[in-house]
Amino acid sequence: MEEQLNNINETEETSVVYDDALEAKKEKERRQAQIEADSTLPFDEEALLEVRHLRKCFPIKKSLTGKVLQELVAVDDVSFKLKPGETLGIVGESGCGKTTMGRTILKLHPSNGGQIIFNGEDITNYKSAQMRNIRTQMQIIFQDPYSSLPPRSTIGDILSEPVKVHNIVPKSEVKDYVMDLMEKCGLRDYYYERYPHEFSGGQRQRICIARALSVNPKLVVCDEPVSALDVSIQAQIINLLKELQSSMGLTYLFISHDLSVVKFISDKIGVMYLGAMMEFGNKKDIFSNPIHPYTQALFSAIPNPNPDVKMNRIVLSGDIPSPANPPKGCRFHTRCPYAKEICKHVCPKYKEYEPGHFAACHLYSQD
Amino acid sequence: MCAKKNTNTNYLSNKEIRAIAKANRKVMNALEKKKYRKADESEFTTQMKDSKNILEIEDLNTYFFTDQGVVKAVNGVSFEVPENSTVGIVGESGCGKSVTSMSVMRLLQGPQGQIVSGSIRFKSLEYCRDEKGRPIPAYTVDENGNTVQAVNESGVAQYEMEEKVYDIAQMPIRDIHRIRGRQISMIFQEPMTSLNPIFTIGDQLDEVTFIHNPGATKEMAKKRSLDMLGLVGIAAPERVYKSYPHELSGGMRQRVMISMALACDPRLIIADEPTTALDVTIQAQILDLFRDLKHKINGSILLITHDLGVIAEMADYVVVMYAGKVIERGTVQEIFHNPMHPYTIGLQKSKPTMDSDEDTLFNIPGNVPNPVNMPNHCFFKERCSMCTRKCSGEYPGMIQVSPTHFVACHLYDEKEEV
Repeated sequence: MEEQLNNINETEETSVVYDDALEAKKEKERRQAQIEADSTLPFDEEALLEVRHLRKCFPIKKSLTGKVLQELVAVDDVSFKLKPGETLGIVGESGCGKTTMGRTILKLHPSNGGQIIFNGEDITNYKSAQMRNIRTQMQIIFQDPYSSLPPRSTIGDILSEPVKVHNIVPKSEVKDYVMDLMEKCGLRDYYYERYPHEFSGGQRQRICIARALSVNPKLVVCDEPVSALDVSIQAQIINLLKELQSSMGLTYLFISHDLSVVKFISDKIGVMYLGAMMEFGNKKDIFSNPIHPYTQALFSAIPNPNPDVKMNRIVLSGDIPSPANPPKGCRFHTRCPYAKEICKHVCPKYKEYEPGHFAACHLYSQD
Repeated sequence: MCAKKNTNTNYLSNKEIRAIAKANRKVMNALEKKKYRKADESEFTTQMKDSKNILEIEDLNTYFFTDQGVVKAVNGVSFEVPENSTVGIVGESGCGKSVTSMSVMRLLQGPQGQIVSGSIRFKSLEYCRDEKGRPIPAYTVDENGNTVQAVNESGVAQYEMEEKVYDIAQMPIRDIHRIRGRQISMIFQEPMTSLNPIFTIGDQLDEVTFIHNPGATKEMAKKRSLDMLGLVGIAAPERVYKSYPHELSGGMRQRVMISMALACDPRLIIADEPTTALDVTIQAQILDLFRDLKHKINGSILLITHDLGVIAEMADYVVVMYAGKVIERGTVQEIFHNPMHPYTIGLQKSKPTMDSDEDTLFNIPGNVPNPVNMPNHCFFKERCSMCTRKCSGEYPGMIQVSPTHFVACHLYDEKEEV
């Protein structure tokens, strides 16, 4: 397949005519083969979380008999590994599937393909009863602290419920345990009797963090935990998350659209576009040497808080295409400033360019 | 029960609430009456302090009379917007930046929201009117030597204009249409909720030209609308003209909003968080468009945002607000290179940037104080790391550091107060 792709590249000047149907078929076969080959590989023992070719579709059109006629591929062929104690930052524009990916990994949505390997176990096909034991090890912090807390429960009830359900500590020690946890998250002890509406956004987010940590998880999915907060409060929460990570040895999957926040907190970064991973690698590699044109554009789009710096900004034209009907070939080619003929027809392979630095782009496929 | 009451200082009994509501009603009714009065033009015509400014806000107080007490959303705000420049207002949510802009537009939700005192002076370009109150057309000589009514580049008829200074805060609401929409226009944060879903973009755009230009015809309005859509970088104006808001993406809708704001050649555009609801790549497009328009239009921009990066890129002057007060203002260079107020310094440090490599972020501890019952001393005192003994005293006055740089902090007290 590799050779074929290179051949196509070399003959590009002579304007090859691509058969879209054939290319799509080839691509499908190639992927199927890849998935089958990868599924027999042994699990990586070092990794806490390993995701292989994850796919999640939502039906958008059904026939009378319930057959799915059209589906929206929210997450398409995403693979990565995450070691304990690391933070993986996922960035992308709205609608690129980053939240769906986080939820599918936690199995809040059933997946439509691929494997999720957590702590050496393949949890892809676990039933909800089996998942219950795993739930204590993986938790989520939601974006909106205003709607993710039950308004009729006190903070004490909210925080002690998961502790009681999962039998984390004996019943008599629950209150002490919760108090201890509240102190860790920067909440005063007299908040125990209060209700969520009495708190500001930042305090509520602390409560959400405390709730997620109450069961001693290993992996925490942070789904845009700071985007609903003000800048000064944002800094408090980010610092708290970092502090807790070092004291409790947590692993974060940090989803955000704010690149500067992701850069601050992450060890590894994944850039998503229209459901697919465009680039993945260590923070250093991605920031010093962004391979994919989308990553480059994303970096240059951030307003710089220094009035003297005048940047040569790469402004992407147009909008994100509809995920229900993604473009053929490379999904980014409609907005890419370097798009070639091959990009319009052939889907680029997700390859390793440097050790641990993956990208999917035709621009570099020659080497 | 009793113990709970003591710990919760925000607790109000029904009796207390009723008493507050009664007192509020008295004040609100008086202010509402003033708002709907008939007044002669001379009552709200004033003079600008500096003729180079287009908008001068002086000691503006905008309060919300709620049953929990009076919320001083804007508490003695003063700043000015010079001609052909961009002024950015930056601050956290609830600091009164949007309420300031709503006061300028007189769009406050009555009867609770009221401008209590202060003045908003705006240099307006008004039609010259004859004795019957009709606008006097402007005439030019065409190539055949005939005298015809002048038209602008889109074919909309022009009239003789004169410059007048109005105090918007004193203006009765019935006269506000002279300014609102035509001379000051606004771009809102959420384009989906500001566009009417049951009318096409074309209908909504034409309406602006219709209302504000006497004698405009349908064809004139359509031509103007299409020109405006082209100006904001929409590739197929004809198609967008015919479509409904839901058919457009977020970035496109915001472009339509901008074109609507530009339709009457306003002298001041208020952009209230124009890019907050958009993605980074779309935000870059819109900011690019703004920078481009800055040179094309003959007017000023008042840009309201919480994003320091956007301010640094767009603004010439910056106003930093905290809890309803202006705490620092100056040129963009002064605010970013020589911030003086501890809050401004903290705000800049607490934003993670792409260039920095620190391990922990600087954070300002605590929260914004409760807007009801504000303390007498500096509102930032509880969160400030550079507090002195003086800070427990009165609220600090505005101190002038340079001709354009003002700061409200006791740290710089030895310098001259203004």
